Amino acid sequence: MPELIKITSLTKTYKLGDEILNALDNVTLNIRAGEFVAITGPSGSGKSTLANIISGLDRPTKGSIIVDGSDLSKMKDRKLSDYRNKNLGYVFQSFNLQGNQTALENVMMPMYFSRVGHKDRHKRARECLESVGLGDRINHKPGQLSGGQRQRVAIARALALNPKIIIADEPTGNLDSVKGQEILSVLKDLNEQGITLIIITHDQTIAREASRIIKIHDGKVRLR
Amino acid sequence: MRFLDYIFLALRNISRQKLRSALTIFAIVIGSTSVAIMLTIVFSAKNFINSQFEKNGTFQQIEVSPQQSIQWGRNNQGCNSQSSVTGCVNITDSIVNKISKLPHVIGVTKEIAVQGAFDGLFYGHKKLQVMQVLAYDANGIVTSSMLAGRDIRPSDGPGVITITSDYANALGFKNNYSKLIGQTVILHSTAFYSGVGSNPVAQSQYIQQFCNNSTNQCSPPATELKAKIIGISNSNSPIGPGRYTIRVPMSWATGMEEQQSVQYPSSQLKVTNLLTQNGYSQLIVKVDNASNAANVAQTIRKDFGVGAADAETAIKQQLSIFNIIGYILGGIGGIALVVAAVGVVNTMIMSILERTREIGVMRAVGARRSTINRLFTFEASLLGLLGGALGVLLCYLLTLAGNPLINNQLKGNNISSQNILAMPTWLILSVIIGTTVIGLLAGLYPARRAARLDPVEALRFE
Repeated sequence: MPELIKITSLTKTYKLGDEILNALDNVTLNIRAGEFVAITGPSGSGKSTLANIISGLDRPTKGSIIVDGSDLSKMKDRKLSDYRNKNLGYVFQSFNLQGNQTALENVMMPMYFSRVGHKDRHKRARECLESVGLGDRINHKPGQLSGGQRQRVAIARALALNPKIIIADEPTGNLDSVKGQEILSVLKDLNEQGITLIIITHDQTIAREASRIIKIHDGKVRLR
Repeated sequence: MRFLDYIFLALRNISRQKLRSALTIFAIVIGSTSVAIMLTIVFSAKNFINSQFEKNGTFQQIEVSPQQSIQWGRNNQGCNSQSSVTGCVNITDSIVNKISKLPHVIGVTKEIAVQGAFDGLFYGHKKLQVMQVLAYDANGIVTSSMLAGRDIRPSDGPGVITITSDYANALGFKNNYSKLIGQTVILHSTAFYSGVGSNPVAQSQYIQQFCNNSTNQCSPPATELKAKIIGISNSNSPIGPGRYTIRVPMSWATGMEEQQSVQYPSSQLKVTNLLTQNGYSQLIVKVDNASNAANVAQTIRKDFGVGAADAETAIKQQLSIFNIIGYILGGIGGIALVVAAVGVVNTMIMSILERTREIGVMRAVGARRSTINRLFTFEASLLGLLGGALGVLLCYLLTLAGNPLINNQLKGNNISSQNILAMPTWLILSVIIGTTVIGLLAGLYPARRAARLDPVEALRFE
């Protein structure tokens, strides 16, 4: 398997008043295409920062992150936004759905930004919802769906533009263990179809499902 | 993002906070309605006045008067021998001939105002005061707007008159003008009238007959001329004679301006034509095209030393008051729009604060900074557009309500114009485009703020 994500000497520092905080300290790691990686660590360890940098939401202070041959740290906002749009699906702990919009409309959102036409938008959003088992809930609003269903809508949204990578930040954090397992199996299915899956979690039972666990402690990576 | 998608999403966002959006739009509606109303009133008034003058061909007319300093439309009087006004040049037939040969001039009407000859108009037991007896060539250059009967024709001789509708009303024929046509009235002269129809006596007899030796006061008998009414003209016509005017044929006016006296000792009747002595009261010169009027008026002033004024220059001066009113009222509406713009800024900032997390999600799934910026700018512009469109609509409804009232008013003044309040396309478009631009400008800062939000921070926002 080729390397999809190459992170080299990556450092992210925050200034808190006079104090300089190393959220990530000289991190070097590679992730291959099609891998299922779990990033774990205690809260404040820097795992979310790493996820944000891989997903192109945040930029490193030092070092490089090369995804599919392009260096994210050197991209302008326009390019980086397009990278998030087309290569990446992000699944949040708190779902982050639009409460006033239906499941279908929520899934369509990324497609507005890549100028997908009206008809194709509806067709693709429907497909995505069907693939996560919500074909009969497309016109429901998040308030009418259970937590597990909401997270499925969020996964469908992440899938909308056929991403290479899905990053899920504590995707089961707001769900009970049964629903959590369901969501995990949906994500694992996607991984089996070839999507690189990165899950940020501090839940060891979920981490154990991954093909590789990356542990972060005080901004430093300990590979296993 | 596609243009239509921007509009769709902006509309959806506006309708999310219905009350707040409605209130913001309401403020814009107040401003845009007032601006639209002001513009409509000013435009319609100017348009109405212009159309009234254009209909009568007034813009092609130049008034020429013996007095150099004249103003258009003031019924300038000639120079008579009694009042020696400085800077007076008698308008003789030779001047008339020369003017009519000037380039662009297509016709000249001579006008005689019969001064101080008559003081009463009698009909049955009704006695009305005579304000003005006027004659001008019935050659088609000047036409009166007739409510009944007909205008004076060149073939008319002494003995016929037209009167203005105010006279007809005073005689008790309001709304019944045609009944007055063909009726005979008496023109009652002043004591010293010596024109046509008077009975001059020799000076020696005069004292014997008319003067009282003890008081030294003389009261010669008045002359009464019979006149048949052939037409009623509109007192409210924007041009032409004043409200109480009697119009007589040119030939009769010439006779009225004569001075007849019995010579001593020959006892021969001497007739002096004051017209040849004093010239005409006024000329109306018609030019081929309204755009030449000002130039021809200047030429006449320069070449003949007489006064000349064209309607357009004068009317433009009068209309400038409407511009001033328009600026003031438009300014008030403008201030309302500025306040409305502040409302838009406020609404947008609130909206962005509420939607911080949503902006974070949009950024996470691939919205560029420019996309967010445009989305919110569109939203603010759309508020402006809706406010402007509703304002124009409201203004239109107000014109629908206002027109019947004005129509009634005009009808009462015998003016046939209908529905003079009108909104031209340019007005509608400029109000809507104007408020849209105001919305756009008001949205620039909030949209920039939204675009500059850090996505990570925005996603963490509670």
